[in-house]
Amino acid sequence: MDHIELSLEQSLDHCIKCNICTAACPVAAVTDRFPGPKYVGPQAQRFRHERQPVPDASVDYCSGCRVCNEVCPTGVRIAELNARARARIVAERGLPFRNWLIARSELVGRLSCGPHAPLVNAGLRFGPARWLAERALGIHRAAPLPAASAYSFRAWFKRRRRRGSGPQANGKRRVVYFHGCATNYYEPRVGQAAVAVLERNGFEVILAPQNCCGLPLISNGDFAAARKAHAANVRKLLPYVRQGIPVVGASTSCTLTLKEEAPEILGMHDAEVRAVAEGTYDIFEFLRNLAERGELDTAFKPIERALPYHPPCQYRAHRLGLPPLDVLSLVPGLTLVLSRASCCGIAGTYGLKREKYQIAMDVGAPLFAFVRGFGADLALCDSETCRWQITHATGVASKHPIEILAEAYGEAR
Amino acid sequence: MPYDTIVIGAGLAGLMAALGRAGQGERVLVLAKGHGATHWASGQIDVLAGDANPLAAVERLRVERPEHPYTLVGMPALEAGIAHLRALCADAAYPLAGNLHQRLLLPTALGALRPTALAPATMVAGESRQLADGRPTLIAGFPELRDFFPPLAAANLRAQGFPADGCYLALPPSGRRQSFDPVVLARLFETAEFRAEVGRQLAEEVRRGGYARVGLPAVLGLRHATEVVRDLQAHAGALIFEIPTLPPSVPGMRLYHVLEEALLRLGGRIQLGAFVRRGEGRDIVLEAVYSEAAAREQRHVARRWVLATGGLAGGGLRATPDGELRETALGLPVRAPNRRADWFARRFLDPAGHPVFSAGIAVDEALRPLDAAGRVVYANVAVAGSAIAGFDPIREGCLEGVAIATGYAAGAT
Repeated sequence: MDHIELSLEQSLDHCIKCNICTAACPVAAVTDRFPGPKYVGPQAQRFRHERQPVPDASVDYCSGCRVCNEVCPTGVRIAELNARARARIVAERGLPFRNWLIARSELVGRLSCGPHAPLVNAGLRFGPARWLAERALGIHRAAPLPAASAYSFRAWFKRRRRRGSGPQANGKRRVVYFHGCATNYYEPRVGQAAVAVLERNGFEVILAPQNCCGLPLISNGDFAAARKAHAANVRKLLPYVRQGIPVVGASTSCTLTLKEEAPEILGMHDAEVRAVAEGTYDIFEFLRNLAERGELDTAFKPIERALPYHPPCQYRAHRLGLPPLDVLSLVPGLTLVLSRASCCGIAGTYGLKREKYQIAMDVGAPLFAFVRGFGADLALCDSETCRWQITHATGVASKHPIEILAEAYGEAR
Repeated sequence: MPYDTIVIGAGLAGLMAALGRAGQGERVLVLAKGHGATHWASGQIDVLAGDANPLAAVERLRVERPEHPYTLVGMPALEAGIAHLRALCADAAYPLAGNLHQRLLLPTALGALRPTALAPATMVAGESRQLADGRPTLIAGFPELRDFFPPLAAANLRAQGFPADGCYLALPPSGRRQSFDPVVLARLFETAEFRAEVGRQLAEEVRRGGYARVGLPAVLGLRHATEVVRDLQAHAGALIFEIPTLPPSVPGMRLYHVLEEALLRLGGRIQLGAFVRRGEGRDIVLEAVYSEAAAREQRHVARRWVLATGGLAGGGLRATPDGELRETALGLPVRAPNRRADWFARRFLDPAGHPVFSAGIAVDEALRPLDAAGRVVYANVAVAGSAIAGFDPIREGCLEGVAIATGYAAGAT
């Protein structure tokens, strides 16, 4: 038993059965399929033993949003318990092909992205194809699958470097940019905005080798593959971290995985893993730190707009407050109105699944009502899958807050 | 980002303090480990038990107990704090009933009468003077709601001379087949069809038994309780009153929502999942605190601070395995019985209570924390609520009153 497992076991005893987690759980609020974090978490954990069959399949309906952790008054690590319990089910019963596939966002992204992307996207919008995917694979026909990009972020970055249009390294401070699968294959514009903002603040951006953070593998219970993915990232990022170069990412779920989810849930705790975790920052966390030291370039041009902003679950799980709100409040004229909804429902790959699509839509209903009622033609959210879900459910376009910041620097493209 | 005031703890005391400061135009942040005492408590406001006139009891106590928090902050803080809370609740269309000069006796789920000073208007039709008007009372519930037994509550009321019957209602169809905790039921009561069906059953019972009033578990709506109760009364043709349930407490959550909304409207922030682990100060000035976050701690800076983390039950104090009581956030000196053997009285039901429950932080009249020699530890910190030493909030029946009085005082100075 590693020390995190020990602390998970011991944290059970901190559960006083007050049910505050269940009261706050957005999934238990809308469906009987999930009896709530207390029951499948600390309570069922007592019945999970190495040589015993898994006692309950309902833990699979946990979306992993971590709202339970956020509200627990006694610090029980409920979401981690649930993630590990799901992995036990997978270890026992095997991984369904659908989950195997959607957990491999890097593979799916690589196959979809490129000059042939319009073809792929047309296929994904084609009703009969989606019907077939639902019947054969169990991916809900209405689920918000992202549109692939005709070029990858890495290809853009390298092209730009070859043209020499990126700034040169001459004694500048450096950061490693962790783009994640979504930015690389679906939304290169987010990475372009992030690079623009970092360079504007005098950083040379390094595109280190990297791979999928492994979060979709973790949330689908494929721990063996997730461990491999994380170990590979640690190997690739460590040389930079060792030189004191921070790793910065705009995908808040990727940065959370590097910082905490992978080490804690997968039980990887050696010095290298810890060094990479401690060297990784969400981009707005990084920018807020700059602002607090008085080092942020605040020559913003005014943006006279009021926009709805949803801090996604994965951002709240960083437990940093609201850095995007703090930084964007420095832009003259810009007002962000905070969503109070607990979750958009999609939870990465959860809302794509045939049996969970409606649950995800019901969970997100308060957020969708907020976005629709706001009346703006744009919503802001740090997580890519949440953005896709918001746009799918409301028809309102969505952007990463870093795109607005780039705009405020006059760097919009 | 620097704040004017940071409050640690999001219970009644912390939120009252935060509201006071934000009301003066300060930038305020509330850091809390999770949801807490408000979600456990009855939603009633206990000021001091043991006298039919709570205010007279407080006056007497101020002579007898110079170190009691009421004595330290004075009567005006209690009265102004209560008035502030009443105004906030009234603004939120969730008025409080009662006053400080005559206590209320309200039935519990077991049919005992419990003294309190103020209660939500949704509970007040069950007050003992009304129960004694000779007309019969019905206690109704649902078999699906655990730990609420109408026949038992009614039998205990009868034993005290109040005519009462108990009955179970059939839960209207809702698409849910299991998991009926108080919060799920409260959400169901906010749909008109659900309460119309409950109202129809109640009308039938009222016609049959000639009941003047009906007591129901306190699950009558999360956000619009007043409206739900009014509507049910119209359907049932009798007065309706709520009886507190086991946690999660719906009336407690309503109170939290009232305070949370008011604070956010004033521009305050609440950050949950932020477990404050240590502080950093120079001389007698607290300069920063550190909260747990992914991969590393988050540093928070403010000019002034309020510590409102609760006592032993709320988690503001913890016992180490070697029998020492620690204050968990800032490591302040704890005033407690010297030896572990002195924590408890010899008899379990000792009328004087157990000394350990009076443990806490010793404070001066400005609520500043004191060390064992009576010197101020931090001049820019105020302690509020059950973290204060020298009183036993539950046994004395003053949990909410002290939270409000000291929270108000900490927010005003």
